[in-house]
Amino acid sequence: MSGLSRRKFVCGTAFSAAGIVMSDGFSGFIPRSNSGSNSSSESSEKKYNIMQEVMKYRKIDSHVHVNLSSTNSEVQKKFAEVLMNYSERMKVEKLMLSNPVTRLINSIPDGRPESFIANNNSVLGVMKIYPKIFSGSFTFNPVHAKESMDEIKRCVDLGMVNAKAYYQTKINDPSYYPIVEKMIDLKMVIHMHAEAQIGVGGYRMKYNGYKPLNVSIPDDFVDIAKRYPEAIFQYAHIGGGGDWEYMCKTLKNSPNVYVDTSGSNNEENLIDFAVKQLGENRVLFGSDNCYYQCVGKILASNLNESQMKKIFFENYNNLLRKGGRNVD
Amino acid sequence: MLIDINAYVGHWPFQQLKYNTCEALLQRMNKFGVDVSVISNLNGIFYKNTQSANEELYEEIRSNSKFKDRFIPFAVINPIYAGWRDDLETCVTKLDMKGVRIYPKYHDFDIIDPACIELVKRVRDYGLPVAFNYRMVDSRQRSWMDIGYVVGTAKKEWNLKDIIPIIKAVPDAKYMILNFANAAVLSPEEINLVKNTDLIFDTSGRTITNMAEFLNLYGTNKFAFGTHSPILDYLTGLLRIESLYSNEADENTKELLRSGNAKRMLGL
Repeated sequence: MSGLSRRKFVCGTAFSAAGIVMSDGFSGFIPRSNSGSNSSSESSEKKYNIMQEVMKYRKIDSHVHVNLSSTNSEVQKKFAEVLMNYSERMKVEKLMLSNPVTRLINSIPDGRPESFIANNNSVLGVMKIYPKIFSGSFTFNPVHAKESMDEIKRCVDLGMVNAKAYYQTKINDPSYYPIVEKMIDLKMVIHMHAEAQIGVGGYRMKYNGYKPLNVSIPDDFVDIAKRYPEAIFQYAHIGGGGDWEYMCKTLKNSPNVYVDTSGSNNEENLIDFAVKQLGENRVLFGSDNCYYQCVGKILASNLNESQMKKIFFENYNNLLRKGGRNVD
Repeated sequence: MLIDINAYVGHWPFQQLKYNTCEALLQRMNKFGVDVSVISNLNGIFYKNTQSANEELYEEIRSNSKFKDRFIPFAVINPIYAGWRDDLETCVTKLDMKGVRIYPKYHDFDIIDPACIELVKRVRDYGLPVAFNYRMVDSRQRSWMDIGYVVGTAKKEWNLKDIIPIIKAVPDAKYMILNFANAAVLSPEEINLVKNTDLIFDTSGRTITNMAEFLNLYGTNKFAFGTHSPILDYLTGLLRIESLYSNEADENTKELLRSGNAKRMLGL
């Protein structure tokens, strides 16, 4: 990271899977010209220095995306600079990048093999730009069983370390079974987009027309996790706008389901509640490209230093360690 | 000095809140180095008669002498409810309120309803600021009993374009625009209106994905530290300021964001 001191201005657009549409073009960070200069005022330094706290903790971002709106390599290269700026500014030493297929075609999620292959290629391209910082997760659609298995093999051979799927197919659909079994063999995390949006979907997700039918909800994770207790599931973005109390309470007794803290929503008590419900070992730091909230919500929690270390870094690194892919 | 221009005490009917009393908020402020907080009573959003909430806040602040210098109370006024003019006068002249927060969506009136325009003008004439916000909570997790402005639906959460009409209607008022949560493409005319109005945004909102870009677009005099506490976490709004590199914001600019712009608007 130390050699990356000056970066070009980047105005690529990040379409967060959590649902922020940056219609005015704001996104990411602009470059710095000197290092270590983000100081606090004299008064706040005496009381609390937030940047000292930011720099105190090593971090692995378990949920972060390349530019989701384009597979163009130049667009992705520019966006890589935004990601590196975030990495430097917030001391995130590893980014688990993914590019799930988020587009809808006639209101139906695009689940074509050519689409997930193209998206994986964009991640692979970005991984090569800063290979020490960028790691990658592959995406697929299990209803295309052979193509998905072939793609997993290709991506693993090229250095990807986890799976990241979207709402093409529910996580507990039988088509997932061979994928889950493959991931067990590979000792890899299955990271799945998930929602529990009472306000949008109606109480208990009535699917009132605003969400695709195959969005995975917490109960779906409970189901698949019970069927495959040796698998490792990552429930995406408890800060992604859904009802995080509902999520955590549902997942409480599924010990092989981890949650990541990413998403644009940074409600007070979200982190403390998650740790209280799930324990300090099942909560993973993530941004979903929300670069301030991801750190702020954890620093504002009541976790002690040991717990913060676990959430920012150790918990996810321990999952990587299962397959010998840990970063330290 | 650090001034939080966007904090509350009180309850949210659909979810338990932490740190939602003056005592608990003060502990939060002391822990993280916040000197002063501008607060309203959340109950005022839900009481039909908002003055009851203003009186509750007044009594809570009076209940302990250490609160007086640390909290700046803002009234919640509903301009389509009986007696609001008297309530406003009481809040300003007797309850020591230093501004007014207005909730058109929750109190069910258009932002340029003649009553709202009159309220803004009256507050202006007292020399005090009015505050509007984009949203109180993320609508994706709202209770089914909460108001029906929902992201992803035809009746969306507000963005800046929804607030601009009142600024156009009363351009010489002072405005605090809180919880910058949704993006909007503004016309050059609208950008100029924002720039030429005595207006500040707080730093709590999720749409501020790059603080430096926002400073460049709107100006360094247009932002002030805010938390949206106790609904949002206490530190993200501060992180947006303190993580700025020196080539993005020098110390003078950071001081404007921490307290300078707030002081100017609050007349401190």
